[in-house]
Amino acid sequence: MIRLSGRATPVGLDGAILPDVWRVCRADQDGTGGALACVSTRRDIIGDQNRIHLAPHPGAAAPGPALKLGRGLAHIAEDDIIRISPDGSRVNVLWKNTAIHNSLLLTEQCDNYCLMCSQPPKTRDDTWLFEQAKRVVSLLPPTARILGLTGGEPTLHADALIGLLEHCRDTAPWLQLHLLSNGRRFSDFSFSQRYAAVGLRDIMVGIPLYAPEPGLHDFIVQAGGAFEETVHGILNLATLGQPVELRVVVQKHTVPVLPELAIFIARNLPFVDQVALMGLEMTGLARPNSAEVWIDPADYQAELADATLALASAGIVTKIFNHQLCVLDERLWPFAVRSISDWKNDYLDICDNCSVRDVCGGVFTTSGSRLSTALRPIQHQRQQG
Amino acid sequence: MNVRLLRDATAVPPSGWQLLPMRFHRFDSDSVLLTNLVGEHLFVSPDQFLAVIDGTCNDQELLARLRARHLIQRPGDRLPAELLAVKLRTRLRHLPDSTGLHIFVVTLRCEHTCRYCQVSRQSSARSEFDMSQETARRALALAFQSPSPHLKFEFQGGEPLLNFSLLKWIVREAKRINRDHGKDLAFVIATNLALLDDEILRFCEEEDVHISTSLDGPADLHNRNRRRPGQNSWQKTVAGIRQVQDRLGPGRVSALMTTTEASLDRARDIIDTYVELGLRNVFLRPISPYGFALRLRGGAGYDVERWLRFYETGLDYIIDLNRGGLPTVESYAAIIARKMFSNQDPGYVDLTSPAGIGLGALVYNYDGDIYASDEGRMLAEMQDHTFRLGNVQTSSYEEILLNEKLLQPLAESFTLSAPMCHSCAFEPYCGADPVFHHATAGDFVGHKATSAFCRRNMGIFKALLRRARDDDFARDLFWRWGQR
Repeated sequence: MIRLSGRATPVGLDGAILPDVWRVCRADQDGTGGALACVSTRRDIIGDQNRIHLAPHPGAAAPGPALKLGRGLAHIAEDDIIRISPDGSRVNVLWKNTAIHNSLLLTEQCDNYCLMCSQPPKTRDDTWLFEQAKRVVSLLPPTARILGLTGGEPTLHADALIGLLEHCRDTAPWLQLHLLSNGRRFSDFSFSQRYAAVGLRDIMVGIPLYAPEPGLHDFIVQAGGAFEETVHGILNLATLGQPVELRVVVQKHTVPVLPELAIFIARNLPFVDQVALMGLEMTGLARPNSAEVWIDPADYQAELADATLALASAGIVTKIFNHQLCVLDERLWPFAVRSISDWKNDYLDICDNCSVRDVCGGVFTTSGSRLSTALRPIQHQRQQG
Repeated sequence: MNVRLLRDATAVPPSGWQLLPMRFHRFDSDSVLLTNLVGEHLFVSPDQFLAVIDGTCNDQELLARLRARHLIQRPGDRLPAELLAVKLRTRLRHLPDSTGLHIFVVTLRCEHTCRYCQVSRQSSARSEFDMSQETARRALALAFQSPSPHLKFEFQGGEPLLNFSLLKWIVREAKRINRDHGKDLAFVIATNLALLDDEILRFCEEEDVHISTSLDGPADLHNRNRRRPGQNSWQKTVAGIRQVQDRLGPGRVSALMTTTEASLDRARDIIDTYVELGLRNVFLRPISPYGFALRLRGGAGYDVERWLRFYETGLDYIIDLNRGGLPTVESYAAIIARKMFSNQDPGYVDLTSPAGIGLGALVYNYDGDIYASDEGRMLAEMQDHTFRLGNVQTSSYEEILLNEKLLQPLAESFTLSAPMCHSCAFEPYCGADPVFHHATAGDFVGHKATSAFCRRNMGIFKALLRRARDDDFARDLFWRWGQR
């Protein structure tokens, strides 16, 4: 696990630091050893002070204006993108170049209020996040491959989202984009058309679907009418040839309907590009609602296997995310993806003896005490199907 | 806990549901089969069924499942009707293409004298039963008027290899004509393979022609059914299959079997014969009530129930082969699985509605007469010309496709309106066969309570549904067959 935000101490910096988003590059040939420099693309903004030297170790010397990073941020390295608060006291990592998954939070507002939401919605105006996202995209290194766009519900700010997507198209057309949305806004065909008209070559929308009928889905997302809008949205996206991933969070309420949901998808939405069956992340609303949503993964293997094998038999690309191999029915290993974001995955002490640790996603470090009782080291490399 | 919207607020209210188009069938003593407009199905108990119908059901879990399967909806729901419409459109979307299969009977001559032959075979020497090049030219011109982007040309007989020179000409001429059309062409020779030689193999290799042959099972059974001088039909066929597999590749030859009375106790032997030859598709086919088959002593020699026992034995054996790791397909089950477990209609001409006659296939007989189906041609050999739609010399494409002799049987047999079909729970899986009912009942519809077509197909539907319900492996297997 790595920390994505922390404290910093400015040294020799006068006034507010502008702009807020910086890309990290190697310091020039000045022999400062491990020191790194941040370079803004726009040299004019802070005159010739377009560089701030980063001192990964608080004690290290820097040749000019510098930011001394707190201990937890020592991992910051070349081609990462960071946000520095105007007073230089806080640094957030927005793009970790060595990570497989990087996501930009676009808003904390949402029109769903899912029982197990890992990012509980807030109502405050946060449209500046879209502007920040644009600046991150502008600074992305050419080696950047995949960028996630997440919320809240990004489509609530239609103009800002379309503007950001157009910016991605113009600035980083090689980028593979993955947008997380509840899909409801796409039920408005004219919005779907605007989205498709951006013309991104490589974008997929990940849309959660929790049940095969409105009664349960609307309850889980705590919004009446959401199911109809979400499915309409998926149909509109398909009509426009836009890739869609369905995301099913496996929790207490969805477990009994997983097989029925698999059949619903196979019959009604067989065109989707993939279905992701996701283990529950015990954070955000999932904590206060834990009695409502938590179930030990060891207790739903039959339903998960039934749904997974049915989807696969129907020819639908099916992936299982956020599950530890030791808890997973062995028939499902071929579907398991090492998916937990680098900055929140971890292994337990008992994992040290496990023979499949290297191909396992580990556990969420946000899992707190809610881990499966079935976690155990696997002693022999078993045959994978 | 952060719950703002209570569970009851989103569920189906008591007595507040509406029935969507739904059909039912008393499946066995403790279950009723429900199917929706497009064939998604659910088993419920008789008590549950009555409670859902009369509005007294308070089993929320059941109501949610019925809602998920588009069997009921909450008043005001828009999505179920829209999704049903999407699925139905998907199922019917190939209809405007029409007529993808064009069967050329290039000769009636044959050197076999099979007991169940459906055609008035002629001895090998009489060339007046060969199709002429002029007839073939006109037939090709008609075939290319089909709006279908895929045209499959199937050569039948008799034994089509007895008129190989014309067959070659047709393949090359079709490809030449297609330069102006850009359609996707496929060619199949339905042959007993006895006459296979190097020249024919080379031709099939160069022109990408598929071979379809007849293999009734083990040698003794096959040779008993399929007679030829020397009693070596099986040996010839098997040698031919191996040659095609070696030269052209394993996927380039397929085989069909016909079930005679002697086959009925030998389902496993028959399937083993296919498996040993590396043929992964077995099509367990009943005998047809046409041609010489009707004249066999006692008709087909067996009834539907005996045939179903044979079919189920074979089906179970094939499921077990898959369970043991040997991928093998029962082709008829796979056709039905596609209708049961996907929204696609495979367009199989003998099990689709509107019927496959004319719309799915046209048959150009050696003499230029055009028939709505292969079975229609066989009836003509018995002096029944009901399904003759015209002749390549005199009929235009419009005259053939708009002929009352085609439209009337299509309309009368359409399963969404035919008596007893429209209310049948199995309708989405089934099809219309006006030729069979004309031959056996004297009209295009028949009486479904006595129709052997109904009993046979309903038996198969039930066999598949029961296995899908009771055996998860079989269910997943059928789902996979349905996607092929």
